[in-house]
Amino acid sequence: MTHELSSPPPPETEAGVATAEDGVVLLDGPDGVAVTMTAAAARSTGESLVEAARRAEEQLAGKRPSGTG
Amino acid sequence: MLTDRFLRDRRGVSLEAGERARLEAAVSTTSTVEARRIIARAGEWLDQSTLLVEGIMSRYLDDRNGLRQLVAIHLPGDFVDLHAYPLKRLDHDVGTMTPATIAIVPHAELDAITEEMPELTRKLWFATLLDAAIHRAWLFRLGRLDAIGRVAHFFCETNVRLQSAGLSDGRRFNLGLTQADVAEICGLTTVHVNRVVRHLREEGLCIFRNGKVEILDAAKLARRGQFDPAYLYIDDPASPTPPDQRPRR
Repeated sequence: MTHELSSPPPPETEAGVATAEDGVVLLDGPDGVAVTMTAAAARSTGESLVEAARRAEEQLAGKRPSGTG
Repeated sequence: MLTDRFLRDRRGVSLEAGERARLEAAVSTTSTVEARRIIARAGEWLDQSTLLVEGIMSRYLDDRNGLRQLVAIHLPGDFVDLHAYPLKRLDHDVGTMTPATIAIVPHAELDAITEEMPELTRKLWFATLLDAAIHRAWLFRLGRLDAIGRVAHFFCETNVRLQSAGLSDGRRFNLGLTQADVAEICGLTTVHVNRVVRHLREEGLCIFRNGKVEILDAAKLARRGQFDPAYLYIDDPASPTPPDQRPRR
């Protein structure tokens, strides 16, 4: 008897939570993410994430059939 | 006895008196080792294996910058590098985390046991497979759990393993590790672990202080760490040993 294997995880829809602690930035989540960064690294990561999110939304908009959205 | 904790309370593989006596006789020397000492280096030829009698040991790999990644923790009663018996060369280093007492078993003695005592050989094999199960849980912990979950899972696992070795009452145990050690084990920074420990205390799940762990709410801690002890193969007197795990004569 066999069972279907679960699929690879889909993209996270929950946001990670960043907090400051003892002069560094902790990023918890999404999923199993648990990272500590310096303030400079966190800022740079944040900017990179915002830019990547903008491009991802453009990519999705480019895929939509014309006349929708 | 040196082997008292080896496979203690493990499902269907507790040593019988003759097996324990044979394993004790196989020990060539015992020694005490300071904390943070390397016992076996990756790649070196090994003709003996190490049974951990007291203390905590680890397996680890170094990255190209020399930063250490722990890949396993060993507790009293573990046959730490039994893997080295068939492999002869390990792919990782083995070292002490705390002061430790170790018993050395030459591979020639394991050769003799393999030839003379197939049931004891099966139990040694079981011990190695138990290590593999704990490795799988280690991967799950680092790959799927968040920071709180990782630490919760590690405390739950260590509690069950130490309880099996007779070193935890199920609620309290002396871990003997620092927050920095727990950080390394859980793939976190010390700042992160410090906050997780505070969170676990404030949520009433457990207290980790001065190397000692006190579990306040075992069920909630296990739930938070997605911990299910099935992979540790602990003997449960309430459930009979499956036929395929009963000793063969």
